[in-house]
Amino acid sequence: MGVSKGDEMLINEIKAGNEMAFEALVLKYTPKLMSVLTGYTKSKDHAEELCQKTFIKVWQKINTFKGESSLFTWIYRIGINLAKNDFASRFSKNSKFTESLDQDQYDFPEYRSPETELIAAESEIKMMQFIQSLDEDTKTAFTLREIEGRTYDEIAKILNCPIGTVRSRIFRARQLILEFMNQENILNG
Amino acid sequence: MDKNLEKMSALYDGELSQNEMQEIIKKMDSDESMRNAFYKFGLISELMQRHSEQQKSKITYLQNYYRKLNPLFTNLVTAAATVLLTLIVLYQFDDDRFKVDKETSFRLSSAISSDQAKIQLLNADQNIMEHMIQIMQSNQSNKSQQLSKNWIPVGFSVSPNNPNQYSNGRNNLFFHLENKQLGIKNVKYFKANNNWIYLIPLKDGRLLTAYGDIPPSIADQMIQSIYQRN
Repeated sequence: MGVSKGDEMLINEIKAGNEMAFEALVLKYTPKLMSVLTGYTKSKDHAEELCQKTFIKVWQKINTFKGESSLFTWIYRIGINLAKNDFASRFSKNSKFTESLDQDQYDFPEYRSPETELIAAESEIKMMQFIQSLDEDTKTAFTLREIEGRTYDEIAKILNCPIGTVRSRIFRARQLILEFMNQENILNG
Repeated sequence: MDKNLEKMSALYDGELSQNEMQEIIKKMDSDESMRNAFYKFGLISELMQRHSEQQKSKITYLQNYYRKLNPLFTNLVTAAATVLLTLIVLYQFDDDRFKVDKETSFRLSSAISSDQAKIQLLNADQNIMEHMIQIMQSNQSNKSQQLSKNWIPVGFSVSPNNPNQYSNGRNNLFFHLENKQLGIKNVKYFKANNNWIYLIPLKDGRLLTAYGDIPPSIADQMIQSIYQRN
C-alpha cells in the first residue's frame, strides 16, 4: 500500500519547509509509534526518547521518502531500527551481557504489556464501551474509517449518503469520544 | 470552534483540500487545545485498531468456550462455530424495511468482510449464537413445532426424509419453530458460507428459524408472507 492522498499533501508541505505541517504529522502518528515502541522497550520513558529521535530522523530524511509504502510504515521502520540499534548499543556497553549475547536476546516482544499502555487499561475499556454505545450511523461510519481505512467517498457509497454526512458523522464520533475522555478525566493534564 | 474541529477531523483522515489543510494547520499552530485534540484523534485511532486486532483472537477463545460448553461438540461443530464467528452478523432490520436492493447488497457484502461485523458478532447475545450453532448442526426436526404450509415459499416442496426441510430443486431450506424469543424483536439474519440464517420472531411469541441457501431477495417475500399470515 502506498502513501494516502492526505499524507502525500502533508509530506509535500513538509518538503516545502512547512514546520506546522510537520508538527501535525508528529501529533497524528505519535500515539501509534508510541504504542509500537513501548511494546518493544517495555518502558514508556525509553519509548518517548526513541519517539523523539524517530521524528527528528523523519524530519531529516523526509526528502528521501518516495511514497512506496504508507507514511506510517516508513516512520515505523525508522523507529524500529532506532530501537534495535539503541538496544544493541545498550548491551554492548555492558560487558556483563556482551559475552553471552546471542541472537535470541535481540528478539523483541511483539505485544505490549499492561504497564506500558498509553492509557490505563480500565480507561481503555470505558472508551471502547463508549464507542460501542454510539448510535449505529455514527459508529458505522467511524468504524469503516478507523478499522477498515475507507475513504469518505467509499463510506458514502457503502452507506448510501452524501460525503458531507460521512464527514459529520465521523467528526461527531470523535467529538463525542473527546467529550467522554474529558468527562472521565482520561489523559487530562 | 466546532467547524475547526470538524476540519481537523477531516485533516486527520486526509480528506481536506490543500488550501483547507494549510488554513487548519495554521490555526492548530496557535491553538494548543486543537493540537491536543488532534493528538487524541491519533490515540483513539490506535486504540480502535488495536482492539480490532484483539477481537480476532477472541474467535479462538470462543471456539474453546463452545468446546467446554459441550464436550460432545465435534470438530465439525467447532468449525461451524468458527464459520459463524468469522463470517458474521450482517444486518438487523424491521420487517417493513426488509427490501433488498442493489445498495443494500453492496452494503451487506461490505459488512460481511468488515471488522465491524466481526465485532458485532462477538458482542452479540451468546444465546443467539448458541441457538444458531445448534440449528446449523442439527435440523432438530423432532423438536420443532409444526409449520403452517402457508409459510413455505412458492415452488418449494417438503423433503420426504425431513418434514422441516424444503427444496425447489436448487435451494434447500430448513425451518425450526419453537417457543423461544431470545429477546429478538425484529427479524435478524446472518450469513455463514453459502447459507443464510433468518431469525423471525412471530407475533404469537414463537421464534421461527429458517436456514438454507436462500438469499435475502427470496427470503424477503417469504418473511412478508409469514407476517401477513401470522
